[in-house]
Amino acid sequence: MHCLICFNTLHEDTTWATLFESKEEIVCESCNEKFERLDLEKHHCQRCMKPISHEVNLCGDCVAWRERMGIDPLSRNISIYSYNEDMKDLMARFKYRGDYELVKVWEQEVTQIYQHYFAGNDFTIVPIPLSEERLSERGFNQAEAIAQLIGPTQSLLIRKHSEKQSKKTKLERMRTSNPFRSKIRNAPRHILLVDDIYTTGTTLRQAGQVLLNSGAQQIFSLTLIRS
Amino acid sequence: MNLETLASQYDGKLLLKQELDDSIFNELVNKGLIQKVSGIQKRLGLTTCQRCFNQENKYFGKMPMDIIYCRRCIMMGRVSEVEPLYYWLGDSHGVEPIEKACQWKGELTPLQQKASDAIIDTIERKSRLLINAVCGAGKTEMLYEGIEAAIAQGLKICIATPRTDVVRELAPRLRRDFPRIQSAALYGDSTELDHGAHLVIATTHQLLRYRQAFDVIIVDEVDAFPYHKDKSLPQAVKRAAKPEHAMIYLTATPRTDLKIKSALHLIQTVSIPMRFHGHPLPVPTFKYVRKLENQLLDQKLPQAIQRWIYNRNGRRYLLFVPTIEMAHHLSRLLNNTPYVFAESPNRKELIQQFRNKNISALITTTILERGVTFPSIDVAVIKADHHVFDVAALVQISGRSGRSATDPTGDVTFFYETKTNAMVQAKQYTLKKNKEAKEYMR
Repeated sequence: MHCLICFNTLHEDTTWATLFESKEEIVCESCNEKFERLDLEKHHCQRCMKPISHEVNLCGDCVAWRERMGIDPLSRNISIYSYNEDMKDLMARFKYRGDYELVKVWEQEVTQIYQHYFAGNDFTIVPIPLSEERLSERGFNQAEAIAQLIGPTQSLLIRKHSEKQSKKTKLERMRTSNPFRSKIRNAPRHILLVDDIYTTGTTLRQAGQVLLNSGAQQIFSLTLIRS
Repeated sequence: MNLETLASQYDGKLLLKQELDDSIFNELVNKGLIQKVSGIQKRLGLTTCQRCFNQENKYFGKMPMDIIYCRRCIMMGRVSEVEPLYYWLGDSHGVEPIEKACQWKGELTPLQQKASDAIIDTIERKSRLLINAVCGAGKTEMLYEGIEAAIAQGLKICIATPRTDVVRELAPRLRRDFPRIQSAALYGDSTELDHGAHLVIATTHQLLRYRQAFDVIIVDEVDAFPYHKDKSLPQAVKRAAKPEHAMIYLTATPRTDLKIKSALHLIQTVSIPMRFHGHPLPVPTFKYVRKLENQLLDQKLPQAIQRWIYNRNGRRYLLFVPTIEMAHHLSRLLNNTPYVFAESPNRKELIQQFRNKNISALITTTILERGVTFPSIDVAVIKADHHVFDVAALVQISGRSGRSATDPTGDVTFFYETKTNAMVQAKQYTLKKNKEAKEYMR
């Protein structure tokens, strides 16, 4: 076996435990150490998981959204990793270079987090779509790849082609008109949106709003990274 | 559609669709100006990446719909079963010949001149040549007349080397001495373009992007890691050369395969046993240290090393260590003397600071063993008996010392626990070359 990230040979000691447990290591120790899991003990925004001071329960961004828009379409976001330099490199390789296999690196963690927060609640899993242009450019949708780690997904949204989010400022992101359209009229009640990165939450909220308008009642999100 | 501009961008390369101008892609195909090659080839049960020659299963991945792609060269853009490569079929792009492009005013030694003449001859006859020259022989200057002659004929030249640091050191020197030519320095994170370049200075890895591009390829440090270990790199160099080409290998320490070819006269060889300043190579001193590795890992600085550093008396020095871990331990023992290794984040800056004499000592892994010149330094190898220090590495490391004509001597010390063949052979190499040089002088 080779590390899925650095290709070095994985040295697995055969013990009784490894014989009986089906858990397979796919990433070497030194690559695994580079991941920084979000510290759930730390005080963070109850909606989006941003680390904040103890006096408040919601971060400035989430408060601003509610004040500007009246209601917040997003009930709660759960993220798993922080966006450190190593993660940035890895995401660049996964998303922009298109190294699809890397999604397996996060399989264990994503399914565990899903089990812990969302399992048993009859959620419909909806990955944030790419525009058709972007999809044909990349060959796959990274959000869908992540969502499929959890289980069957439903494609309920269509995305118009627009400029890359990462090239916009925060204000520009909040102002942009909604790039999403719903494919259906009667959306399921509980939706779990899945995306790779939570930055300002605008994308997820825009997608959530569209689904609320077509009948959904509550929108949650699971994102791999909280930047 | 300006065919000449397109040719200057596309000719001699293996390109992905996204590297071609999207707005004229269909026209390029319809007019037969580009040829498609499948990205992944499956033949006789063997899968091969047509860009990086990978055949190892661990480097192939699968995308949705079970499409196979190559993960090995993915940082150059993805090659897959549905993402082919393209090369230019139109008229080839000629570079503009420039007369007397070299501005270097120095003079070659008789030995350098001998090598230089052989290089010119090799370029003329489009044949092969090995220059086996000791460290500090002045290899770069030996190339100048050959490069000048090639540029005057409008030939395309590539200097390829396995080491990024060598590219970064060579490029500014060549640009200073050939100020009127077009050139590009290509390595992992450089952003330069080679459109219309007379001279490309690149890591051997970057040559994976080329196909029948160069009339002259000079492979500097041909025995260095990873070139001699990674079979795809010699293949890349071969593919990057035009069918009719001159190939020149440079090294101080040829590996067995080249040595055999040279001994059998399968490749013409010029041997240069003397440094350009005429002084002998510094002979390494061996210093035994009991339990050297354990002492360092226990955060103890062996006395012998302490004494050696004390005796530098203000001279700058490099300390070579076999592992990053040892670099880290040694750094802590020496008041946080900075250390560099392949992936260290500030590698480029630290090397520059050492070059600028802002820091007086640097701990390094074998990344600085070759191709870099710092005047007036001493070197020590800590744990010289470690297996990463093979003969070639030890010879190259010793060659970092005494490089400058105004300060042609320097100290080289190997600290060790158990004497190895590599250490003994490295010392013998030095003595032999010095003897040859002496005979030549007579």
